[in-house]
Amino acid sequence: MINLADYRAELHAWLEANHDELAPRFAPPGTLDDRVIQMRRVKSILFDAGWMQRGWPERVGGRGGPPMLRTELGAALAARGLTDPGLFSLIEVLAPTIIDFAPPELAAEVVPRLLSGAELWCQGFSEPDAGSDLASLRCHAAPESGDARTATKWVINGQKVWTSLAQFSDRCVLLTRTGPPDSRHRGITAFFVDMRTPGITVVPLEMLNGELEFAEVFFADVVVSADRMLGELNGGWAVAMSILPYERSSCFWQRIAFLYRRLQRLVEVAPDDDRAAEIVGDAYLQLHALRARSRATQHRLAETGTIGAETSIDKVLVATAEQTTYDAVRRLLPGMIEMDDSVAGEMWRSEYLYSRAATIYGGTAEVQRNIIARRLLELGSDE
Amino acid sequence: MIDTHERAVMEETVRGAIADALATAREGANIDAVLAQLGWLKMLDDEPDDAIDIVFRALGAANATATALDDVVASALGQKPRADLAVLLPRFAAWDPPGRIDADDLQAEGLATGRAATAREMLVVCGTESEPWSVIASTTVADVQAVRGVDPDAGLRAVRVHGSAAGATRLDPAVWPKAVALGRRAVAYQIAGAGRTMLDLARTHALERVQFGRPIARFQAVRHRLADALVAVEALEAALTAAREEPNPDTAALAKAVAGRTAHTVARHCQQVLAGIGFTTEHSFHRFLMRVLAFEGIFGSADAIVLDIGRRLLAERRVPTLIEL
Repeated sequence: MINLADYRAELHAWLEANHDELAPRFAPPGTLDDRVIQMRRVKSILFDAGWMQRGWPERVGGRGGPPMLRTELGAALAARGLTDPGLFSLIEVLAPTIIDFAPPELAAEVVPRLLSGAELWCQGFSEPDAGSDLASLRCHAAPESGDARTATKWVINGQKVWTSLAQFSDRCVLLTRTGPPDSRHRGITAFFVDMRTPGITVVPLEMLNGELEFAEVFFADVVVSADRMLGELNGGWAVAMSILPYERSSCFWQRIAFLYRRLQRLVEVAPDDDRAAEIVGDAYLQLHALRARSRATQHRLAETGTIGAETSIDKVLVATAEQTTYDAVRRLLPGMIEMDDSVAGEMWRSEYLYSRAATIYGGTAEVQRNIIARRLLELGSDE
Repeated sequence: MIDTHERAVMEETVRGAIADALATAREGANIDAVLAQLGWLKMLDDEPDDAIDIVFRALGAANATATALDDVVASALGQKPRADLAVLLPRFAAWDPPGRIDADDLQAEGLATGRAATAREMLVVCGTESEPWSVIASTTVADVQAVRGVDPDAGLRAVRVHGSAAGATRLDPAVWPKAVALGRRAVAYQIAGAGRTMLDLARTHALERVQFGRPIARFQAVRHRLADALVAVEALEAALTAAREEPNPDTAALAKAVAGRTAHTVARHCQQVLAGIGFTTEHSFHRFLMRVLAFEGIFGSADAIVLDIGRRLLAERRVPTLIEL
């Protein structure tokens, strides 16, 4: 049994000792390209030193141990400003899918490449007409010939959107429609697609902070081998839903570590008066409640092996706390976000603008409240 | 620490006994007697964390009036709790020691539970946070006035003490913050219990009340208010767990501040969902609203605590994380 506190101490000591090698070569925020390169570099150093493999199963090249070891690593990197937690924690929404649903030999081949930074992957879920209502997705996959049960090749046609880092990615975890158009969650199949396959076109989208983090991805007669199917035929909904526990535990904890770092940076420069005290105090209060909630969620996951609809509460808390934190920056450093062209201004502006999406991505604030009302408060159907 | 099963039994017993007492008494049920019969002081001595959690949550959930807070604070101050020892609490919204000593003269002003009206003695902490003294004063030197305020049923008293400081003993400076921390947790549990009941009342109403030909629970605007109320209650539960697992003045202060914020959020949403009926004295909601308004200020309101914490973050220019995985 690994003692988490000892592990954390050992990890931080190592990161401290190797700080110069790990530190970004640019002043934050840097460009998205800077941050992607930094993430790959950090992963590669940590992989060589054996840290990246901790908490991952041995059958995919990991060193075993509880998944919380991964969470501690991501949080330590975020707390030290070594990687962008949004980019780094993508492994938590991608690797477990492959481990749980890909053929074992495929998982053993590709997961180490993701962990070491040799490859980047993306998640092809959302579509222009399937945002909050993911089960209405239409991107179509059909057997190249013959019966779906025996087909050796599948042909994909359609479009994805809001695909983060698609232009950097080597592979994509893709949800497709394989049942009738109205089959909803019963007719979805997941595939693991090489992004260099002919017929795939990536068109990056400019976000309101000027970055090209996500993209539209077009599929025109893209052929994928049947052994790249993840899970069962028409079992893609289970694949999509399996991501939730990782996204709502480890990813959130890493985000929270990052938000504490940002609040730290704010209190270093904020005015020392009572208005500022109320504003930073309130952000701190929200971050604390969120951290306490996320901690309890992760211990429950570790004990029971599962978490569900109750994590919509974590999601509401993380989105609210993130926006409150950046609102605090705007209110306490007038002109910093709006007018300041220094490196600090660029960082706060970019992150402030990005924080506006916290109540949108990963399930909107409204969808979370619908889930809380229906599943946790048992208010019945709203129809 | 007691196990999950023991805890469930204990919770059920405490809640049941309080509910019975409230149901049978015409008015002014003696909840202190109920708690005494359940062995509250022994529970507090044996398993303080569980005892405070279970009892104060139950008091809040039933909107029952008791004086058990005196026992919690007295024990944290190193006194053996007893029914004839009241404790002088800080003034509303504050948490500094309520008394001061000038030569041999003791003067104090603060709030107290209903025990102040009957107890023989009152424990008064004096001085500053860094140099606290404790005095056990006779209640004959205390002017004890019932506070009507927003919640006459809360049994709170406004107390002024003017007497001799003879017998004052020096307290370890760590003791007062510890007593405040434990008192804060107790009140925060009480608010958590009250918050759950308010939410239950509003939820039941939303499912039963029909307008435009359907239960109002089907309207998204109503559902989202109740969802936000639940988020607030769960944030408080998390902060309380953190305060229990990492017990110190900071985690307790944050739990109490979250409790204050939660109280107002839950009350606002539930009152709106209850609409007309929630604005009357016919429906029990109003009792919970009044009680959380009154108790939000015991050992510091959320606003006062947040200001205090914020000042410290800015003075030290440091943001501690307080809890780890």
